[in-house]
Amino acid sequence: MNKVEIDWTRCDGHGLCAGLMPDDIVLDEWGFPVLRGREITTGELPDARRAILACPALALRLTSR
Amino acid sequence: MITMDDTRVIGEARLLAGLDQDLHHHLSTYGPLPQLTREDYVQLCEAVGLRGRGGAAFPVALKLQDLPARGVEAVVVNGSESEPVSRKDRLLLTRSPHLVLDGAVGLAHALRAPHVLIGVHDTAAATSLREALMERDDHLAIEVRDTPGRFVAGEARALLSALEGRAAVPPGRRVLPTRSGVHRRPTFLSNVETFAQLAVLARLGSRGFSSTGLIREPGTQLLTIDGAVQRPGVIETPTGVLLDTVLQYAGAEPGPVLLGGYHGRWLPRTDGVTLQRPEVSAGIILALGSATCPLGEVTRVAEWLRSQSAGQCGPCVFGLAALVDDFARLTIGDRQGWYDAQRHLGLIPGRGACAHPDGAARFLTSALEVFDDDVRRHLSGQGCGRPALGVLPVPGGTR
Repeated sequence: MNKVEIDWTRCDGHGLCAGLMPDDIVLDEWGFPVLRGREITTGELPDARRAILACPALALRLTSR
Repeated sequence: MITMDDTRVIGEARLLAGLDQDLHHHLSTYGPLPQLTREDYVQLCEAVGLRGRGGAAFPVALKLQDLPARGVEAVVVNGSESEPVSRKDRLLLTRSPHLVLDGAVGLAHALRAPHVLIGVHDTAAATSLREALMERDDHLAIEVRDTPGRFVAGEARALLSALEGRAAVPPGRRVLPTRSGVHRRPTFLSNVETFAQLAVLARLGSRGFSSTGLIREPGTQLLTIDGAVQRPGVIETPTGVLLDTVLQYAGAEPGPVLLGGYHGRWLPRTDGVTLQRPEVSAGIILALGSATCPLGEVTRVAEWLRSQSAGQCGPCVFGLAALVDDFARLTIGDRQGWYDAQRHLGLIPGRGACAHPDGAARFLTSALEVFDDDVRRHLSGQGCGRPALGVLPVPGGTR
């Protein structure tokens, strides 16, 4: 039960996440991420972790709930 | 600051039973505060279904049960009352400070919390509390702190942040004060009225407390009514009172009604609506009347909501600014403004560190629904033929 979460106080709308996780994140008209709210499968976890580490503002995190 | 010291009571006066009294008179009105245990408080709150009175209407018993058995750092009274129309908490702090202090002190003793912190941003409230504290000896460290007055600064976690000397903005992580509050320690935080209710509940017991109001959530509630009314002010009523009764009591002009303040909803109709949590939120009722342009009024409030963003989260900063523009265009008859507003209203909720974008979107969405006829008239290019009179109070705005 893993999902991507955004710390909105950190996010500056760099937009890298949408390129790295096109299935989970699209950008709104101001360049800020819109989460699709999809669950990250176990197989996708390594890629998801890499994408999260790539955020220049460190605004992404993975929650397991 | 607008003074709205006019207070009225429908039914039994509880919170407003002993205004402007020193400690001696306060105690003769309410009686001494019984020494209760933490279990007593949980049982009482559960029995009467007491909910927080700051707007979120969270059950107090659940909040108490979420605290660890020992090591509670502080009891925090959130007196920021940042909704511009609300006056109920300020009224309690300035005119019945002992009742609020009783609630906070009683609970702090029961939880064995060494500190009571009271965050206010109103000089009169702070002075009244400090004077009341001079009369009391509660064997606790009680502090009154001045906190910033912006809307979002009244959010619970923003207040905690301000109390620790950091910026009064909500943090990016969703942490509960009961787990990580003052000094990252377990903290009980609630609104001013909640503590006054606790002080009354501790004395009356669950049976006495339940002698009025709804079965599900008995007791009384404080409401602030303003707008197109003859007698604006704070009213104490039983829970579940009819909205129409309160409107009539305050002498409201017929017309649309906003329930729950600027994060609340416009009501399509008032008949049969009862005032209870969570819909009534922090107890704000605004009557619009029929002489003013609803869309013009809503746009003024949207502009104020935009100005109150803490400026931390992109969707809130850009989204609220876009919505102000959308509503302004819609009001002058630009159809594209209406389309853009619909899109932006769907884009904002759930995308911020606090509930400000969600609340603003809720307010604006309900405006588009309830004022549908006015929207059509404006889009037809003729407008509604009424000026925006400024019936909805906005801080810094003209009335």
